[in-house]
Amino acid sequence: MNLYAYLIAFLLIIPLQATLLAPLSRIGLVPDLGLAIISIIGLLAGPIEGAIAGIALGLYQDISSASLLGLSGLTRGIIGLFAGFLGQRVLDVRGPSTPVLFALFSVLDSLLTTLYLEMTYGSFPILRQLFSRMLPRAFVTALAGYWLLQFVMRRNVLGLIRRRELQKEF
Amino acid sequence: MTGLIDKNRKYLIVLAIFLFLFWLVTIQVKAGRFTILERPVLAVSGFFERIITGIYNVTTSTIHGYIVLVRTERENGRLKEQVERLRLENQVTNELLLENDRLRAALGFQKISLPGSITIGVIAKESSPSSSTFTVNKGSVHGLARDMPVVTADGVVGRIQALLPETAKVLLITDPGSTIAVRVQRNREEGLLEGKIDRCALKYVSFYVDVQEGDLLVTSGLDGIYPKGLPVALVTKVQKHEASSFQAVYAEPVVRFSRLEEALVLKR
Repeated sequence: MNLYAYLIAFLLIIPLQATLLAPLSRIGLVPDLGLAIISIIGLLAGPIEGAIAGIALGLYQDISSASLLGLSGLTRGIIGLFAGFLGQRVLDVRGPSTPVLFALFSVLDSLLTTLYLEMTYGSFPILRQLFSRMLPRAFVTALAGYWLLQFVMRRNVLGLIRRRELQKEF
Repeated sequence: MTGLIDKNRKYLIVLAIFLFLFWLVTIQVKAGRFTILERPVLAVSGFFERIITGIYNVTTSTIHGYIVLVRTERENGRLKEQVERLRLENQVTNELLLENDRLRAALGFQKISLPGSITIGVIAKESSPSSSTFTVNKGSVHGLARDMPVVTADGVVGRIQALLPETAKVLLITDPGSTIAVRVQRNREEGLLEGKIDRCALKYVSFYVDVQEGDLLVTSGLDGIYPKGLPVALVTKVQKHEASSFQAVYAEPVVRFSRLEEALVLKR
């Protein structure tokens, strides 16, 4: 795992999401770039790396959005782990079904969060949120995630990071 | 057994972290949110947010400025007309205010006045499934303080949650951590309005209390944060269950957060 590459990506992704993509909230279609990045790391680098990346980015997001500390860390860690297992054992990440997986990860992340909030605070209309927030968000996250995945694979970003690490080790 | 543990050590560590995070979140539900590391993280994210917003604003304002220049003359004429009309309306309003003061004095009422305010601009809108917050372009050096109410002409936006010298975090009324003491404007019934991410819910409303769809909820001032009488939300759904002694009341905020660019922070 290249810590510096991840650190820079994580430090930039939340401010980018909160500033440049914020105008999209007017039409209710803001992709979750953080989740897309975690899913990509999981799919390409494996479950452990995906889980740790998810926990780290989730915690950063929790602190920067004044949320319950650890909630996004937990849900995104689970998503990273889940994506890692799929990428390692089941999935051909180049396949056309990948956008569906990104959408699935996004819905799962929102569902886990809303279920927890419903259990603790109550009165969270899950079904309403599924249609008004989760599905539109999943749709645009799937598009953004698929585009990012294509970019990463075409440029072989992960391979470059790994090669530098190997060069250092030798 | 030892071999199995050794083989899956990394997974066990991840599982332990998950359990620790679950415990961490659960204790915050009772003890309140932890603000550990908040200042350094906000400083880092606020720094990047200001840079990105600055570049974005310069680029868009240059393009926008050129387009706007073309329409300025037409707009100018229209605004002059509007100013004249507003001046006339202002004179009438001043007369009405004076009359109102006289009548209030005659009836022995206290004068209602809003405190001073600071204008803030939204520089970032955090998008998380578990919270609703904005970052704004002013902080403690501009006179902001924790728990100061944030409002617009339409109504209540939220309150200052975290502070840095140059930026601040605003907790919106739709955040699950937000609670406001409100009153139904129509019949003065009181309640507590809690955030539910995409809308709000009025808590602990007795089954027999008269709340209807379309009712406006205004601040009651009893929470010691928001001044009395500011519009907060409109009741959109009322559900009564025979089995429960409370009714479920949902409300939509009067402020459209997705379109919010500027707001006012009310000083204490």
